[in-house]
Amino acid sequence: MDREQEKLQLKQHIIKYLNLLHVTPEEITDDMPMFREGLGLDSIDSIEMVVMMEREYGLKIENPKDGREILQTINSMMDFIEKGRAAKAAEEKA
Amino acid sequence: MFYIHQSSCISHQPTFNDVDLEDLKPIENNLVPAIEPKYENVPLGQLRRMGRALRMGVGTCMKLLATNKVNGLLIGTANGGIEDSIMFLNQIHDYEEGRLTPTAFVQSTYNAIAGMVGMITVNHGYNATHVHRGHAFENVVLDAAMLLKENPDHSYLIGGVDEISVKNHRLVSLAGWYRHDVVSNADLYTGNATGTLPGEGAAMFIVSNKSEGAKAKLTGLKMLNSLDENFVKEQLNLFLKENPGEVDLFLQGENGDNRLLKYYTAAESLMGEETTVARFKHAFGEFQTVSALAVWLSTYVLQNQKLPQHFIKKNSATAFNRILIYNNYQGLQHSFMLVERV
Amino acid sequence: MSKIVVTGIGIISPIGNSVAENCAALQASKCGLSSLELFATRYATLLKFGEIKITNEDLKQQLGVTTKGVTRTTLLALHAFVQAIEDRGLSAEELQSSDTALINGNTIGGMSESENLYLDANKNEVGSEYISSYNLGTVNMYIQQRYKIGGVVNTFNTACSSSANAIAYGARLIKNGFAKRAIVGGTDSLAKFTINGFNSLGILSSTLCKPFDAERSGLNLGEGAAFLVLEKEEDAKGKKIYAEVSGWGNTNDAFHPSSLSDNGDGPYLAMKEALEVAKLKPEQIGFVNAHGTATENNDEKESVAMKRLFEKVPAFASTKSNTGHTLGAAGAIEAVYCILNLMHQEVYANLRFEKTIETTGLTPVTEYTKMNLEHVMSNSFGFGGNCSSLIFSKT
Repeated sequence: MDREQEKLQLKQHIIKYLNLLHVTPEEITDDMPMFREGLGLDSIDSIEMVVMMEREYGLKIENPKDGREILQTINSMMDFIEKGRAAKAAEEKA
Repeated sequence: MFYIHQSSCISHQPTFNDVDLEDLKPIENNLVPAIEPKYENVPLGQLRRMGRALRMGVGTCMKLLATNKVNGLLIGTANGGIEDSIMFLNQIHDYEEGRLTPTAFVQSTYNAIAGMVGMITVNHGYNATHVHRGHAFENVVLDAAMLLKENPDHSYLIGGVDEISVKNHRLVSLAGWYRHDVVSNADLYTGNATGTLPGEGAAMFIVSNKSEGAKAKLTGLKMLNSLDENFVKEQLNLFLKENPGEVDLFLQGENGDNRLLKYYTAAESLMGEETTVARFKHAFGEFQTVSALAVWLSTYVLQNQKLPQHFIKKNSATAFNRILIYNNYQGLQHSFMLVERV
Repeated sequence: MSKIVVTGIGIISPIGNSVAENCAALQASKCGLSSLELFATRYATLLKFGEIKITNEDLKQQLGVTTKGVTRTTLLALHAFVQAIEDRGLSAEELQSSDTALINGNTIGGMSESENLYLDANKNEVGSEYISSYNLGTVNMYIQQRYKIGGVVNTFNTACSSSANAIAYGARLIKNGFAKRAIVGGTDSLAKFTINGFNSLGILSSTLCKPFDAERSGLNLGEGAAFLVLEKEEDAKGKKIYAEVSGWGNTNDAFHPSSLSDNGDGPYLAMKEALEVAKLKPEQIGFVNAHGTATENNDEKESVAMKRLFEKVPAFASTKSNTGHTLGAAGAIEAVYCILNLMHQEVYANLRFEKTIETTGLTPVTEYTKMNLEHVMSNSFGFGGNCSSLIFSKT
């Protein structure tokens, strides 16, 4: 899967986990802020997305303050996912 | 006690937008589920998280609050978002108490409806959720009556809501309160069987001390806890003496469960020969806060001066001025309410 | 207008099974928080809890409960209820009278039987003994039936302010002539449901909670119950009078489902309204039993609200450092503690406080102190923005 497809899948996960009835994946742009004026999500959504990262990508976000950084935009989440995967791959090699 | 101004209702019948009670919606699969409308006044960002009870509760409240401001919110619900509670419980099991998503937990708290409406409408006023099963809505009425004595110029949004959900249906069914033979609206009252049909819905009202523009007046309330039908009869007799005047419609909560019939028969025996007797659970089903829908129906009857034939058990009044509602939940929790024409 | 007074009290909490035991524990700055021993959950030793170390079987035996389907939430309530009515000496006739009301607040009801609810809702072909006990009404349904309480019976749920509102409702029923006496209180028991719920929000602490400390790390859940007998002063002639319930306020923060607003609007308005009902000025409050859950959000916003209301914030402390957060029972348990403050003219230590929250600069009471008190306030705030304050006054 290329980065574009990965992004689409991430957007679909977000819509599913947060039950965003009124949003299509196309409407979520890659640098749109997830919280407040962007997609309008709140702190409960951020916990939902932390759980989503764990269940869908096997990536843990232990500190809620890191969560705010990671979950800012689709781009920041993709960076986190890719970094997490790279770290896992390195771990497996070692 | 107070005047009823606006009302909104979600039920198995078309009661939300264009009210039509003539053409009775049939029961299928022994369920009386609410017809959920399109919730135009609820922000989608909030609606997305809501379970059924929350949607119906917030939806009926927001319809009224689109055009009215109130000093506080009082909601009766026996189960709140019980489906969400059980969803969260199942998540606890499925993920063995691992990291869980909080939404179902937060949304399942019984006070989520009043809390959510308070939040959406930025209402900092009195905010209460009464949850005492078959007396949840009745305590809302009592609380509102007290608030309006304490703050005569205020107005409040009051109401009741409960959902049938797959899981809750299973629980109540295991406890032996639902019918297992196939029942249609028409033969709910004739089966001589144990159990009733599960219903759900919401009814909300704007209430105040202002008579001007009111649709109806709620003038009396009494709650009782007893298994003794003679005591219920005695207390109803007392209630009628304390609230003298002719009752032209006795709206009672018969639900087809032969274990509860004795209470309704005892109460009905106190009514005059001419009094019209009517029932409503073939239309709305049975649930703990269905008495809120009985008040909604009473308000409708007083306003429109007509009651469709399928509700009527006996006699047929041509004018409606004073309605006595008697409801009973599972044989123990009884309530009497009087609703009058303004 | 006649005063509404407290003429009977009963309590069970992680720091004692009676009013006397709770009082002694508070005076000795005793902490009732520990690992969980009485039921299995992944978090039993990972987190700290205010658990009452009495099994359901023992509670049933002590209380003479033989009926099936009675859950821990009801047993704890019954324990406190019996103490309160015996303390006041209410007769069977008085309990059965149509002017005796019974009001409680709770948040878990029979869902404390989480395992049975899971099985009944998903698997069982025949319902368990708890099949009709899961919702919140179950507690007062049982007590009403057992004592044939004759007046208004109700259950309040406004999350963590439930029993504060139950107390206010009882007082208002008497004021408005709908009851002559009201037995009011709250109860909650520890349950997998609430432990996992609060944990999913990331607000439970793995260490002993530190209310109002700059380095607080969340709350500890607790369990317990308390009941109060309320009546008019003139109906209580010759009876022991503990205190007057002089003020109550119920508002909504209208901000977020589980967090308080930055300015603490809901808490501020609840305290203000309670003062208005009591016809008191802020400076007449001698002590505040704070909500003080020790979450990041609550303690800061509650402090902000107190600073808005009081020119000089009075002595305050959170007894949740002793008991943990007993949710629906907290308002009633802390009402009993306010009564103890007034009775003994003393305040109890907010345990483990070390460092002031920088943005608020407020320091709670850190040791047991004798103090002249006329009026004390108790705060209870909950999810859904529900905020309530009560005021108790010396009689």
